[in-house]
Formats: sequence, structure tokens, C-alpha cells
Amino acid sequence: MSHDDTQQRLQSYARRLFIQRSSALAGMVALGGGSYILNPKGAWAADPIKVGIATDLTGAIGYAGIPNANVAKMVVEEINAAGGLLGRPLQIILEDTASNEQLAVTRVRKLVQKDKVDVVFGGITSSMRNAIKDTIVNRGKTLYIYPQLYEGLECTKYLYCTGPSPAQQCDTFIPWLIKNGGKKFFLPSADYVWPHELNKYARKVIEKSGGEVVDEVYFPVDHNEYSAVVSKIMSSGTNVVFNTTIPPGTPVFFKQLYEAGFQKKGGRLACVYYDENALNITPANEIEGLASCLDYFKAVNDPFGNKLQEKYTKLYGTKNPFTAGSASTGMWRGINLWAEAVKTAKSVKREDVDAALNKAKLADGPGGGCEMVPGTWHSKMNMYIAVAKGGKYEIIEKSPGMVDPRECLKA
Amino acid sequence: MDVVPFVFDIAAYSAIFVLVVLGLGVIASMMGIFNFAHGEFVLLGAYTVYSFQEHGMPTWAGMIAAPFVVAFIGLILERLAIRRFYSAPIVAMLGTYAIALSLRETVRALLGGRFYSVNAPLVGSFVIGDASVSQWRTAVIIITALVMVGCWLLLTRTTLGLQVRASLENPALARASGISVNRVYAGTFAFGSALAGLAGALMVPMYSISADMGVPFLIKSFLAVMLGGMGSFEGSIAGAALVGATSAALPWAIKPVVADLLVFVLAIIIVKFRPEGLLSKTRR
Repeated sequence: MSHDDTQQRLQSYARRLFIQRSSALAGMVALGGGSYILNPKGAWAADPIKVGIATDLTGAIGYAGIPNANVAKMVVEEINAAGGLLGRPLQIILEDTASNEQLAVTRVRKLVQKDKVDVVFGGITSSMRNAIKDTIVNRGKTLYIYPQLYEGLECTKYLYCTGPSPAQQCDTFIPWLIKNGGKKFFLPSADYVWPHELNKYARKVIEKSGGEVVDEVYFPVDHNEYSAVVSKIMSSGTNVVFNTTIPPGTPVFFKQLYEAGFQKKGGRLACVYYDENALNITPANEIEGLASCLDYFKAVNDPFGNKLQEKYTKLYGTKNPFTAGSASTGMWRGINLWAEAVKTAKSVKREDVDAALNKAKLADGPGGGCEMVPGTWHSKMNMYIAVAKGGKYEIIEKSPGMVDPRECLKA
Repeated sequence: MDVVPFVFDIAAYSAIFVLVVLGLGVIASMMGIFNFAHGEFVLLGAYTVYSFQEHGMPTWAGMIAAPFVVAFIGLILERLAIRRFYSAPIVAMLGTYAIALSLRETVRALLGGRFYSVNAPLVGSFVIGDASVSQWRTAVIIITALVMVGCWLLLTRTTLGLQVRASLENPALARASGISVNRVYAGTFAFGSALAGLAGALMVPMYSISADMGVPFLIKSFLAVMLGGMGSFEGSIAGAALVGATSAALPWAIKPVVADLLVFVLAIIIVKFRPEGLLSKTRR
């Protein structure tokens, strides 16, 4: 190949890149104050289906909201590239809820009233879901899909939860902890709804499986001194610390526990929101042996998950990774389940999609497929137990088949 | 009950707390500025250590640099903004609050909203009988004691300290005596900032860095200054030691959620009976 030839090719490539990038910029029209419209690429004859995404791009929960928005963009682009849904492209209307519930209600009201979106995905914390659900589902008469692992008990028609429930995180995990830690559990927690409800469920499973709860202690959410509880843990002969404190307290607590020699004396640390993102919170040696239970880890090393990771990293880099603990898998599952439902229903009307989504399933996904449990607005999925070793996770156990969410069952 | 961990943990937490309050106390009681950005100065100190670690430099070097870096930032802020607030304390609160927000959100953007651990220069624990005692916490207790004594000597035993106290107590008279009051104010603010930076640098290995790390300390620090009595350096320390010790000790006896509240209730009761603060008499 001659020099000129290469030069020309390079120039042509640069031009193409420029055109691509400027069109991407034109497609992403910022509406000011954290509202964005992401138009489908290419020319479409039909009107777009409007997909509302309301998530925390800024503020304290931004570390989870940013990858959530990234996943949504990626999945929607995939669907559009495959011909859209019902011959129509998908258009994303993305709202930054800024980790602020009051602001979020206004943003979500705009989505359902002004933009008239066909579905809303989003919310990370339970307080956020509780703040925006009424505006979307009841007043806005719109379908709402919530992607994060949470405390359960959300049984609202037209509100689907695609993250793991307490049953999915505890049912296989706690018996494993008893076998690989011991019978005496201690539950140190942050004082808000998720730890309270999760602990209620965990306590039942612990007692049913032959373990016992030494104590359940609640701290203010920004607490940063844990010596009293660490001393209680050490003197009570606790085998398993089942942690539901949240940062900024968690690193202090884990360090004090480590320095008191909890792990050295054979104790087992467990925390069900711990994913790849959480590994940076403390030095690796302080959480050596920490066990977690989630619907996906990078270490699962499944072909589907690996391909997805590769694509995601290529598009968005490594700064905001695709992880289960920050709702990325729930978002992926939610949009794909909804898309399946739209195809089956051949409609985007709420009643029609709801009827189809009620029994929608996906054959594959990161960590495996999933399946809605009819009449419960929750989905079955594979669960994995992983243990932190040298700053990485190792998968120890995969659930035998999909685990039932056990939510909203009529007694 | 194990006595060693009980006493040690209370001492360690109080030491951290004294370190945070020291800087706030110097600025609040000597200059009458309630610095709402104090928690963010602590954060900047921590961030300095974190960036040293990120660039492959030892964290102890970051800890030495942190007070100077934060003092410099404090000096710039004093010259640009704070000095306009001396005559209007309410505006100062709002102004420093705005500074706090901008600093915190800048660091949040730099960290991507995440938490990162920072390695302590001393890792591991001493074993005393049955109990393990963290080496780094022990170091922090010793450093705090040294800094405390150093500050006290500086303010009470040197000419510089005399000039500072003179300018802060009676600026007009100090100016008439040939002291450059402007310079003393700027210096005092920078000094207070440096103490905050040092506090952040020393505590970051225990707390991991995140944008909100300074926030939980701010309100309790104000409580400590109020409790100790405005206008006295020793008062702030006594207030800080008391608030720190009760915050750490109460959870041993009662539920932590209740303990958090009780610290404030106790402080309010004390202030009710000693409105001038714990050590108000010593400075008369």
C-alpha cells in the first residue's frame, strides 16, 4: 500500500468519524437542567415509541445512575439497530433526578404529562421509587419498571421490579453462610427502610435454617464510629456479620472490625449489595473473604455477560462499570423484558403491554435468563454467591436454576 | 466488659474530633466567622492524600503536604471572599455554605461520586491482652496531642501569638500598635484551614474518601465550639473532647440511633446552665 493511499484512507476515516460524532451530538439535544432527548439514528417513517428514563445522573447516587443511563442507551440502540419495535424506533427521554426526591417528582411529571412517554424506567433508592411511583402509575397512567435490588413488598399494579428481592438474596445465601461461617449472626444496619425489611426476612431464614441472631443494631445513616458494636460482635462469639450499613459508615465499620481481628478469628463478613463497584471502598485485605449474593458478577464469566461487558466498556469506558449492585442488570432485564412484551402484545398501550409483561421471559442475559412470575410483578433469575479474594470476586456457588422472588404471593 | 478497647476507641474518636474542631474553633472563636466550609477543608486535606496515593507517592508525604495545600486554598478564599464577610456574620454563614457546596460538588465530580480507600502509613494492630489496638489510631492520638500542645504554645507563648490574639480581640488598638491586622486575619484563617486539612489527611485512612466525608462532622463541631465557649481556644478543645467522648461512649450503653440524639440533648442542657461555655472563666 502506497503512502498516499494510507493518507487518503486515514482522511476518509477521520471525516467519517467527524460526521458520526456530530450527528450523535445533534441527536442528543439537551433541554437544559438535566433533560435530554436521544433520537434514534437513521431515517424512520413511523413515529418513535417514547421511553422515559428517570435516574440519578448527579448527586450521591450518581455512581449508579450514570451506568443505568448508559445501559438504557445501549439496549435501546440495539433494539433500534434490529428494526425497532412494531416497525417504530425507540426514542429516549432522559431525566436527571439528581438524587433528590422532590425534584424527581417534577421531572417525572414532565415525562408522563408533557412528553407522554409510553413507559418509565428508573429510580435507584427505595425512597426514590416511593416518591415517583404514584406520579407515574396512578396519576400518569403509565407503566413503571424499577431496576434495583430492594427490600421487597412493592406490589403495585403496573409497577414491575426487575432487581433481586430479599428472598433471592437470602434463600440460598444464608444456608451457605451457616455452612461456611457459623450459626451466630449479627446484623449491623443503617436506619432506613431497606435494612429494616431485609433484616426481617433474613432473620426468618436464619432461624429456619438453624442459625440464631445475636443482635440487630441500627445506626444513623451517616454514622462513623462503630467501636461499641465491634466490641459486642467480638465478645459475643459472632460467626457471621450480615452487614446492611451503607457508605460512608461501611468503610469505617469494616476497618474497625478487621482491626479487632474478626476475620482472623474465623469470622465471616457478608454484604448483599457488594459488587465490583464496592471493592474500592476499603483496602482489599480488610474485606478478604467477604461474601455477597447477586444476580451477576463479572466473575460469572458467562459468554453473554462477557460479550455485554466488552461492548459496554467499548462504548462507555471503565469509569462507570456495568455491575449488579448498582442496578445495571435490572435495567438491562427491564428494557429487554418490556421490549419482548411489546412485541408479543403488538401494542404499546399500557393494558396490553402489562398483560404480556406479566408472563414475559428472556432466554439469556448477563448471568442467565429471567422470567416474570405471573401476577407478582417480580422476576425469577439466577443468583450467584461470590467471595472477595485479593480484591476480586470468585464465584463459589450458582443457584440450582432460577430463584423465585417470593413477592406479592397471595397467601 | 473489655476496658482496653473501650478506653482506646473513645480516645481515638475524641482525638479525631478534637483535630477537626481545633481549626473550626480557631476561626470561629477568634474571628467570629462560622465557617460552614470547614467540613470541605477537611475533605480537601483527605483529597490531597488520595491524589498522592493515585500518583504513586507515599501517603505520609501527602499527609505532610495536606496542611500546606489546604492553608494555601484557605488563604486564597480569605483574600477573595471571606474578608468581605467580617462585618456581617450571617452573610458569612451563607457565603461559606456556598463555598462548601462548590468544593464538595467539585470533589464529587473528580471522584465520580465513588468511595476510595487510602492506605495508612502504619498498618496493623498492637495486641494488648485479648484486645487489638489499631496502630494508625494510636498514631493519630499522639499526633493530635502534639498539635494541641503546639497550637497552645504558639498562641500563648510567642510574639506572633500575642499579635494574633491582640488583632482578634481589639483590631483598632492592634492596628494603632503597628500590627498589620489584615495580614493577621488572613494568616489565622489559613492556619485554621491548615488544621482542617491535617485532620482530613489523618482521618482518611480510617474513613475512605468520598465527597460527603466532612458533612457528619460539621454540625457536631459547631456543637463542640458552642459547648466550649466562644472566644477561647482551650474551650473548643474541651468541648470537642466532651462531644467526641460522649458520641463514642453512649452507643456502648444505648441504641446508636438514640445516642446520636442524646449527644445534642446533653449539650443543650449544659449550655442552658453554662451559657458562656465550659471554660469561659479561664479567659477573663
